Amino acid sequence: METIRTEIVILGAGPGGYAAAFYAADKGKKVILVDRAERLGGVCLNYGCIPSKALLHATKMIREVNESNARGISFGAPKISLDKLREWKDSVLEKLAQGLSGLSQKRGVEVLRGKGHFEDSQTLRVETKEGQKFISYEKAIIAVGTKPAMPPAFDLGNKRVMTSTEALEIEEIPKNLLVVGGGYIGMELGTVYAALGSQVVLTEALSSALVGADSDLVRPVMRYAEEAFKEVRLNTKVVKMATSGKQIKVTLTVKGEQREEMYDRVLVSVGRVPNCKDLGLENTKVALDEKGFIQVNAQRQTADPAIYAVGDVAGGALLAHKASKEARIVVEVITGEASSFEDVIIPAVVFTDPEVAWCGLTEAEAKERGISVQVARFPWAASGRALTFDRPDGLTKLIIEPETERVLGVGIVGHGAGELISEGVLAVQMGATAKDIAESVHPHPTLSETLMECAEVFYGYPTHTLAQKKR
Amino acid sequence: MDVRVPRLAEGVESATVANILVSEGGRIEKDQVILELETEKAVGPIPSPASGKVTKIHVKEGDEVAVGQVLISLSEEGVAGKAPKEKRNAPGKSQAADLAAQGAARPVRETSQPQAAQAEYHYESRSGLPPPASPSVTKIARELGIDLTRVRGSERGGRITLEDLRAYIQHLQQIASAPRPVVLERSESPAPKSVDFSRWGPIQKKRISSVRRTVGQRMYDSWSTIPHITQFDEADVTELVALRKKYAPALEKKGTHLTLTPFVMKALVAALKKYPIFNSSLDEAGGEIVYKEYFHLGVAVDTEAGLIVPVLRDVDKKGISRLAVELNELVERTRARKVSLEELQGGTFTISNQGGIGGGHFTPIINKPEGAILGLGRAVAKPVVKKGKIETRMMLPLCLSYDHRLIDGADAVRFMNELIQALENFPQKELKG
Repeated sequence: METIRTEIVILGAGPGGYAAAFYAADKGKKVILVDRAERLGGVCLNYGCIPSKALLHATKMIREVNESNARGISFGAPKISLDKLREWKDSVLEKLAQGLSGLSQKRGVEVLRGKGHFEDSQTLRVETKEGQKFISYEKAIIAVGTKPAMPPAFDLGNKRVMTSTEALEIEEIPKNLLVVGGGYIGMELGTVYAALGSQVVLTEALSSALVGADSDLVRPVMRYAEEAFKEVRLNTKVVKMATSGKQIKVTLTVKGEQREEMYDRVLVSVGRVPNCKDLGLENTKVALDEKGFIQVNAQRQTADPAIYAVGDVAGGALLAHKASKEARIVVEVITGEASSFEDVIIPAVVFTDPEVAWCGLTEAEAKERGISVQVARFPWAASGRALTFDRPDGLTKLIIEPETERVLGVGIVGHGAGELISEGVLAVQMGATAKDIAESVHPHPTLSETLMECAEVFYGYPTHTLAQKKR
Repeated sequence: MDVRVPRLAEGVESATVANILVSEGGRIEKDQVILELETEKAVGPIPSPASGKVTKIHVKEGDEVAVGQVLISLSEEGVAGKAPKEKRNAPGKSQAADLAAQGAARPVRETSQPQAAQAEYHYESRSGLPPPASPSVTKIARELGIDLTRVRGSERGGRITLEDLRAYIQHLQQIASAPRPVVLERSESPAPKSVDFSRWGPIQKKRISSVRRTVGQRMYDSWSTIPHITQFDEADVTELVALRKKYAPALEKKGTHLTLTPFVMKALVAALKKYPIFNSSLDEAGGEIVYKEYFHLGVAVDTEAGLIVPVLRDVDKKGISRLAVELNELVERTRARKVSLEELQGGTFTISNQGGIGGGHFTPIINKPEGAILGLGRAVAKPVVKKGKIETRMMLPLCLSYDHRLIDGADAVRFMNELIQALENFPQKELKG
């Protein structure tokens, strides 16, 4: 039996895994990248960030056509070809995946396709099409990610009950779609289907959608969703589902009252669970937390000193860029640098309409942890650029430490918030003060000005709005 | 002209602004107190070096300031220095306000002497966040094993730049290469670990005051660097107690309580004059013994905030009643934390009198850089054999701790004998002072 020797083996080729593989190879390490799927890129590229953004972009046109009528430019009703839409979306994924393959090759990263299974702390067995292969490694990085959660009560084995993975395939445009779960996946995909013409009902068990974001940032999204969706129901629990002909019979509890409703399709987006099963982790010293995520320290080292874990499977924020950052930290740690995940600012972006993005400390978090902060807000109704986009429903806010004027957090809701937040990340990560932002000239007319003017609000002299008295 | 934080006292590089006694636009006379600075040990006034008009106040109460930092700007007589009042009232915050805001959360913008106050610096944020610094600076610090909370940031909001880090490293190198051994706080002991006492019952937690911390550091430094020996003895103070009783009422009328301490001080000076090694210091850097020809005695005062040792100067030149008056006044001001930094410096020998509370023998710790310290317990009536007969005498416990690098045991016994002699045969003429 052949044993392959390598310095680093990486299990999982998503944004955590491939980032680690490329960086390690660039630093001169011998790297093997193992993934079950034929196409590299993991969930992010294949069933997550990329396809959802492609669909959001494609369907945005439909939403904008409607808005355009009021501006005196009208089009006819859109004709939708799902096959063509899917084809275009897949071509994007294919292009990116091929890019990754090429980058692997050029760096000399060996890609092995197959299921990985730890035999012990130093050996990974991979079941490839050509049979079993054993990899003897010095360090392993687990980056196997998560998959959509499917509670047993919903798991009918019926393709009409979808997770995000199936929903992104847009097999059809259901007349009635129930979205269970008001997290970012439910909100984003609900937006896609609503634009395509589905009557979308979204339910959320908690009292607010997009948990984690400040309520003032969520408000414009909810206002939009209430218009675009048939209904948004908070504090609503879906009890069970059953197949009923070509439909799904859904039992839900709304305000303590049980109801039965029929839907053509259901999207279950109630969270994600780690892919820790069948990895042979029991043959290593790797320890899991109570939710099944791999326990890691600030260097992302597991309880097994030879094994590291990055990305979703290591818990925390389930975000691709968090995985990539962790990947870089792990490679640096392995190559002897004193890197750590401590104090790393991870921005969050929700690609709803309008987009929501935040980084650092949120206002809610400050309140919860008893940190006294001052919050400066700049409403986009005062932004010329927002008005030219015909989207004044935005808000930029800064969370500021009063004594030092240091920017602890930034929150944005509005058109293009996902692109705007990066300046906030730079400010928070650099320890910038509100004055630093206020005194950096931002070009006019752009949405980025809202950050500068928001800092000006803190000092009491914004140009385009009136300051909340004080200071 | 700019009025800057003067050199405060040895080893004191920074202070906190306690009270600002002038206002912008106001006139001020030469030597008038501008503001008071609070250090770890006391509150001290900062007098104005000239007369003039205050054009700008650069600090606010609660700010931490370093030696050399600008406190106020003064337009001297005749110069029409317009107070930039409009600036202060403007909605925007002035540069000074920026500085002030930074000061509140500890980081201070350095003007001169960039490394001066670095040794004691510690960043604290009420938000519990690490000090502001770019990721690249953070990474370098981590690689070098440098705790960024100890580095003073020079940028807005106390942000640490690469330059600040470099200055701090240079400062550390200077410390490392300094001829005199500098004892870093608990440098050799393993990192202290917290014990969770609440496991065994209810507890309360209190922050360590700055006085307490300073006392702790000094005691640890003295105790761990000086080989201490403590000599115990007793003096028969029966006569002295009677003497005190005799003269106490007269002083009491003037509002001064007469204790045994002034008597002990006088007796001590007599012994110190005879054995000057006890009034000396060891100059470790210079490799010399420094004999002092003055007699400034430190007196340990128990204050609410902790132990503070003010110094009573020229004890040899003062009589008992004057000593009693000055001592009372000094102790009162110390308890009110109103002694100046100067008054805490320059002692040659320290007395720690526990007698007012009680106490027998104990082992006092030398007040570095002095060479010895005298501890006093409470004088109590004891049966004593005198000329073959048992008598009841008032016996005062004496505890003399000394630096064995300077002083040998035989000298200590001789010194003690001299002191006892002086106490037991206290000359009445001293009371005429």
